[in-house]
Amino acid sequence: MDEKRARFEAEVLPHLDAAYRFARWLSHAPGDADDVVQEAILRAFRAFDTLRGSDVKAWLLAIVRNCHSTALKQQQRRAFVPLPEENDVRDGHAMTATTPDPENASIRRDEQRTLDRLIAALPEEHRTVLMLREIEEMDYRQIALVTKVPIGTVMSRLARSRAALKARWLQETEGEPRAVR
Amino acid sequence: MRCAESLRVQAYFDAEVDALSAADIERHLEHCAECRALLRDLEQVRTVLRRDSDYARAPTELRSKIMRALDQEGAAEIQVAEGAPASEGAAAPVGTATPEGTASPEGTAAPAGTASPRGTAAPQGTAFPMRTPRPRERVSPTWRMRPFWMGALGGVGGTAIAATFAFLLLLPRFANPLLDQLANAHVRSLMPSHLIDVVSTDKHTVKPWFTGHADVSPAVADFEQQGYRLIGGRVDYLDHQRSAVVVYQHGAHVINVFSWAGRDRALPADATRSGYHFAFWKAGDLDYCAVSDTGWDELLGLERLLRN
Repeated sequence: MDEKRARFEAEVLPHLDAAYRFARWLSHAPGDADDVVQEAILRAFRAFDTLRGSDVKAWLLAIVRNCHSTALKQQQRRAFVPLPEENDVRDGHAMTATTPDPENASIRRDEQRTLDRLIAALPEEHRTVLMLREIEEMDYRQIALVTKVPIGTVMSRLARSRAALKARWLQETEGEPRAVR
Repeated sequence: MRCAESLRVQAYFDAEVDALSAADIERHLEHCAECRALLRDLEQVRTVLRRDSDYARAPTELRSKIMRALDQEGAAEIQVAEGAPASEGAAAPVGTATPEGTASPEGTAAPAGTASPRGTAAPQGTAFPMRTPRPRERVSPTWRMRPFWMGALGGVGGTAIAATFAFLLLLPRFANPLLDQLANAHVRSLMPSHLIDVVSTDKHTVKPWFTGHADVSPAVADFEQQGYRLIGGRVDYLDHQRSAVVVYQHGAHVINVFSWAGRDRALPADATRSGYHFAFWKAGDLDYCAVSDTGWDELLGLERLLRN
């Protein structure tokens, strides 16, 4: 294997899961996410020689975002109307359960499903910022790089999405024994 | 009505403020009930999201599809590199992707650089210095028709450049055995905000967090009784894999416990370097290394607890 490929695999491919998750938060259908990620990885590989600096993850996710908007434009040109976000059901797609605790597993699954639905119902630009912060644990600067908006916008979107999620989560889990701790 | 400080409180929560602003915000929190409630909300949303979110991983089929696509891409690249070594040079004309924002041509001072969203009115309209990473122009098939390039430059220049590249890239790797990597990772972790990715004293939070983030799932336990307090977890890139790091505090000392898939290789002997002790052991399929500036007794004490 040549050196570039080896370096690419060492530096960029560790972020493949993050790229995949990000594409799923952007996309309307899981199949789209696969295509977007594959295209993004290829683009990243072609541009890899020009990558300066160490923030590989933000760089890769920015490419994913670009690929997503390109794909979206193509789709619209082909007159496919994307489903509205409220109908975006992610069922039927593999969810990774992260709990090793069998007693709570089924409650966890319910909560995961509820949460997933609530997240999906957020507007895309709010959802992506929130997930980049909380799940990918990126800082404001990285999120601004990925989403190409100023930091101030990142901050206000974060605030709004957190408030919305909190309110909806409380509504959904009201009266249930295991609500927000 | 929202308190005017709410965005700063959020920035404080997200660890985006310097110590001075943090102290400022903490003073504000003392007498603003609304912001205290906000802080609790933020904490709750984070807890729920990190606990219940779908930490999906790229499916295996997608991964292998991508690897195959890269194989094809790589084959094309090699031929191009031989044909036109100049493209490896400094001035790559297309797709100058510099997310770090070095020398942005707009000349806008990168608003992002420093972590101080203190100025709450962050510039909304500033063009962000992120260059759109464009794909390098697709390799046009016409290069195949220029054997004269390949003869003249490809033979000598290409080989020389390739050799230099390989030398430069391989050198630090050979000079960097595991101990060096661990020492660097440990020192780096002690810099502000690098220590912990998931903050928790609860092993039931730390352990599942690794499933989504690291390549291995190590033993996680709290030994507070014995003086080793679990404070969180982190992922470090080590030995070509995403190793899981469990972070303990012992008195004033931080102990990083690295773990990675062992691959049947002998581990280095326990060692001391630059004031840090390194204790290695194997357990199950994993290799472990505890690193700290505590005394040997304390470090080996934690190793004993973890092995049991």
